[in-house]
Amino acid sequence: MPDGTQTMIGQPALRIDGRAKLTGRARYASDEVVPNPAHAFLVTSSIARGRIRGFHLDQARAVPGVLDILTHENVGGEAEKPKPMAGGDTTSTLESDRVWHDGQIIAVVVADSFEAAREAAHKVRVDYEAERPSATFGSPGAEEEVRKAGEHKDYHVGDAEAAFAAAPFKVDARYGTPTQHHNPIELFTTTCVWNGSKLTVYEPSQFVYGLRGNLAQQLHIEPGDIHVISRYVGGAFGSRGGITARTAWIAIAARRLGRPVRLVPTRDQGFTIVTYRAETRHHIQLGATSDGRLTALRHEGWEVTSRPSQYNVSGTETTARVYACPNILTKVNIVHADRNTPGFMRAPPETPYMFPLEVAMDELAVALGMDPVELRRVNDTMRDPATGLEYSSRSLMECYDQAGARFGWKSRDPAPRSMRDGDWLVGWGCASAAYPANIGPAAVRVTLTPEGRARVQIAAHDIGTGAYTVLAITAAERLGLPIEHVTVELGGSELPAAGLAAGSSHTAGICNAVAKACEEIRQKLALAAVVTNDGALSGQDASALVLREGALRSPAGAKEDLRAALSRVTGGVLEVYAENIPQGLPRESIGKAYAGQMSMSRGHSRQDATTYTFGAQFVEVRVHSRTGEVRVPRAVGAFAAGTIVNPLTAHSQCIGGMIWGIGAALHEATEIDPNAARYVNDNLSEYLIPVNADVPQVEAILVPERDDRVNPLGIKGLGEIGIVGMNAAVCNAVWHATGRRIRELPIRIEDLL
Amino acid sequence: MDIRLTVNGTEHALSVDVRTTLLDALRERLELTGTKKGCDLGQCGACTVLMDGRRVLACFTLAVAAEGAAITTIEGLAGDDEPLHPMQQAFLENDAYQCGYCTPGQIMSAIACVQEGYAETDEQIREYMSGNLCRCAAYPKIVAAIRQARPLLENR
Amino acid sequence: MRPFDYEPAGGTEAALAASARHAAPDAPPPQYLAGGTNLLDLMKIGVMHPPALINIGALRGAHGGIEADASGLRLGALAHMAEAAEHPAILSDYPAIAQSLQQAANQQLRNMATLAGNVLQRTRCNYFRDPSWDACNKRRPGSGCAAKEGVNRLLAVLGVSEACIASYPGDFANVLAAFGAEVGLASPEGGSRRIPFEDLHRLPGDTPQIETNLRPGELITDFHVPAGPWTGRSLYLKVRDRASFAFAVASAVVALDLAGGTVREARIGLGGLAAKPWRSHEAEAALRGRRLDESTAQEAAEAAFAGAVTHGENDFKPELGRRTLVRALLEAAEMEV
Repeated sequence: MPDGTQTMIGQPALRIDGRAKLTGRARYASDEVVPNPAHAFLVTSSIARGRIRGFHLDQARAVPGVLDILTHENVGGEAEKPKPMAGGDTTSTLESDRVWHDGQIIAVVVADSFEAAREAAHKVRVDYEAERPSATFGSPGAEEEVRKAGEHKDYHVGDAEAAFAAAPFKVDARYGTPTQHHNPIELFTTTCVWNGSKLTVYEPSQFVYGLRGNLAQQLHIEPGDIHVISRYVGGAFGSRGGITARTAWIAIAARRLGRPVRLVPTRDQGFTIVTYRAETRHHIQLGATSDGRLTALRHEGWEVTSRPSQYNVSGTETTARVYACPNILTKVNIVHADRNTPGFMRAPPETPYMFPLEVAMDELAVALGMDPVELRRVNDTMRDPATGLEYSSRSLMECYDQAGARFGWKSRDPAPRSMRDGDWLVGWGCASAAYPANIGPAAVRVTLTPEGRARVQIAAHDIGTGAYTVLAITAAERLGLPIEHVTVELGGSELPAAGLAAGSSHTAGICNAVAKACEEIRQKLALAAVVTNDGALSGQDASALVLREGALRSPAGAKEDLRAALSRVTGGVLEVYAENIPQGLPRESIGKAYAGQMSMSRGHSRQDATTYTFGAQFVEVRVHSRTGEVRVPRAVGAFAAGTIVNPLTAHSQCIGGMIWGIGAALHEATEIDPNAARYVNDNLSEYLIPVNADVPQVEAILVPERDDRVNPLGIKGLGEIGIVGMNAAVCNAVWHATGRRIRELPIRIEDLL
Repeated sequence: MDIRLTVNGTEHALSVDVRTTLLDALRERLELTGTKKGCDLGQCGACTVLMDGRRVLACFTLAVAAEGAAITTIEGLAGDDEPLHPMQQAFLENDAYQCGYCTPGQIMSAIACVQEGYAETDEQIREYMSGNLCRCAAYPKIVAAIRQARPLLENR
Repeated sequence: MRPFDYEPAGGTEAALAASARHAAPDAPPPQYLAGGTNLLDLMKIGVMHPPALINIGALRGAHGGIEADASGLRLGALAHMAEAAEHPAILSDYPAIAQSLQQAANQQLRNMATLAGNVLQRTRCNYFRDPSWDACNKRRPGSGCAAKEGVNRLLAVLGVSEACIASYPGDFANVLAAFGAEVGLASPEGGSRRIPFEDLHRLPGDTPQIETNLRPGELITDFHVPAGPWTGRSLYLKVRDRASFAFAVASAVVALDLAGGTVREARIGLGGLAAKPWRSHEAEAALRGRRLDESTAQEAAEAAFAGAVTHGENDFKPELGRRTLVRALLEAAEMEV
């Protein structure tokens, strides 16, 4: 890439989709207007395990306006189960009479109005053959097995058992994290419209091609006959990555009626018809020398999943490589219960697994009488301890230093209960954050006009991350245009394929693809300009020419305006289609993206280097000395994520993740009835997510970092990193405030009385 | 039932099921989809609109009971070719949103918050904006936006 | 939600008449619609199926005022929570009332919900609120109580019965109970009556489905809070998981008439802990005539929770309740009045 073009990437830019969102004009999938829709309402199971003996539908059918009721009895054979992106098999819904979990879709009522559909759905009566369900860890009937290697790896370096036994300083403790639900504010809606054999699906999605490909397979139709539209997404956080069961049934309902069908599920149904973050348990053993060097790390995890699924997140793939340690042993177990199949939720592996590691590190620092930051410094490494590969870049301690300075960590008295403000105990805690720098394949079409307007078309997803804007920034910079002259079309399966918007991979994947397309444009224009006999750039070195300020320019200042440059290669607009296949992925990965299959180069699985984003997080908590409420008046995080395309939206992502972490540490837990294996607090008034009053001051520092190895633009990604260290930082701060080490989340009043 | 709703200064005649909420009437009947459904149970604030100048939840308002009231939704703040309302502009400049789905409710609530006189301090803003959940957690930036827009609204 | 007759009422008489007209044996009673924030909620989730809604919004003129005089405070039943929360007389002379309202729900809901509607809000027990649970004696008398062995962290420890451990979720009503308020009622049979606020709600006993002593069609017109030397030194302390927009895990109303450091009279209420809006006469008695300090506050708290019954997840609540009350008492004693 010629120098002198790096002017817009890295500069804060307002969202180009801002006006649409701020005026209510942005059409989220739930907002799309279709002609004369019928309305669907789901009936979900009230038992967690058993079979359906029969339905009583007469009362429901008698509701005026009811058009159809779908059950396994009339449509069971019309669709196959959706295929999850991980974990193999999953639970069924209307395919059969089997009930796998509470809240499983067992019928779909369709009516002329939402009101009639809801009334009728409430009148559906079901006879069950109920069996005693297993709710979670320790429930009778839950089945535990060792997770087999395959999707995830275990690490066995040196002899961790012997090293732990011999270590002069040790931590040996067990930890737990709760069930959590994404709860994006846009509900899990689906609208299906058939036009002959063509199906249009409006559904909020993090992977429109995935939705298309999977739905085609379920319905036995051609992927090309399905058009998925998801222009704006009202929050996702992993919940809209894989296809869920509802989509096919709504498509079938619409086909049966010959009329568009719109489903707006309720908030509580959203707890069981999509995925969630499963609860986890952990056993950590750390051994260290008296100067704090780790000699042994053992991390064993347990995760809940559904009966048929092998889904697990195996965050040991990250915890094994955060610190230098010569002896590492990891293991993951899965526990099958009568639950819906879990799935990705913000930093799926790292949020639950970094919590125990980073609390254990704090406990080790206490045992050693060492400052927790210094303990991290002693164990910092530029080489991945699990594989011996180099980190492509790693600025963990720079993050600690910058965030620590901003936070004022130096003035911390290490003794617990040493700070107080009236009746409030004050504590400070910190933790590391780490997340692999992932990247997926992507295709894009970029069009440039003689008037200096560009259009970027890519089936990317803006789930609030600012994808619209980073795409525009990248194209504007590489084509030498003002950002206002770039339009972006995304969120539809009519566009060139991009992968799943998840795992902090999206910005890297889509911006590198745009850069590649723009480079092809530059090359075409440059080559044409230098070989001609009559232009200002005739005879110049094509590789040195750049597009800047609406012209093709040489380093010496010669230039040719866009119109002239374009006219040498086209009579109209120049359109370039490019595919970007990241290092480490096979050529066919782009085909997989078109087919709707996930393929991602992961930061811990590359052969050339280990690529990770790191961060450091500091938290102040206040705990009321009598009544035990925990509040977080301030938090500071610093993150080094390579190239930051748009610092404005990146900053928003980071503080958003940090606030998620505060919620996860103190509030968020889906409560499960132990006997019925049913979610109980399945609403936003008791599944508590942070409100404005919970977060007085949250600061994020973006630490400059250059990484030339991770991918051509040097983007490591930061959607997930913000949450990763927060659970532990809050927990460590609560220890500092109170002297109590709480090893199960969330930390609540009753833990601190 | 036949009703008339006055939304953003325009009167609409429509026939609704007695059970239809103002929220569903706006979204499904009037195609004013800027007002969002996030829970339909008064727990998220995404459906906040102004009724006779006061912020209320459209999900807990029956359409039939909204007759006679002046309803303002997000679409009523700035027309297609008009400059943004100062609160919208402040949200834009402060990046006080991410996915944008709760944003119309946040903005309607924020305007009311200033008009109620509960935007005098950051602490007050945080408390009086706590009825609008933002899962992306743009909260600190929402506070900054309201702080920025307040004098402009007070002088309007 | 099932279809219902909708009838806007132009005045009190019309509302009462409409209620009588829509009442039918063997059918759920018609409901008055004011703010709708709990009624529409329960209708949407299929818990309530009233055959008729009588919109009483137009009665605000008659029953929406707030007045304070030497005898006390008269609160119109249809005053919005937000209005009462910021009323100057309430802020200055009855701070516990203002605080209980300010800390309830959120501003949108407070703009909609009326005082009477707020007082009548029903439990948040999720086994009650989700009709797909078979066992709920409050919703289906005789069906049992799934909450006792289930998720009951937010449920009651005071005033509970074998049949029901649902908690009363509100804030404001606990202050009315503690302050010895009176409720004004208008009846479809004509006439009106006044009852002590403490008698408005019932304990669950064997009939948790009957939550109040309201007679069919009776309409709350107002609340009267008697003046007393304790109302100025009063506060509402709400302990909750989240900093705002959350139900109380525990709360305490404290109002003190202090002479030097000695308690001449105390009014004490508890929230988030009991089956109904709760006044602790036991705690009041324990303090009367005594010096208020850490140890007498602790004694009062012990007295308040002497009869507490817990069910596993909520085992911590008597202790949290005691601590909340002690904290509230000591903070009230420190108030500048």
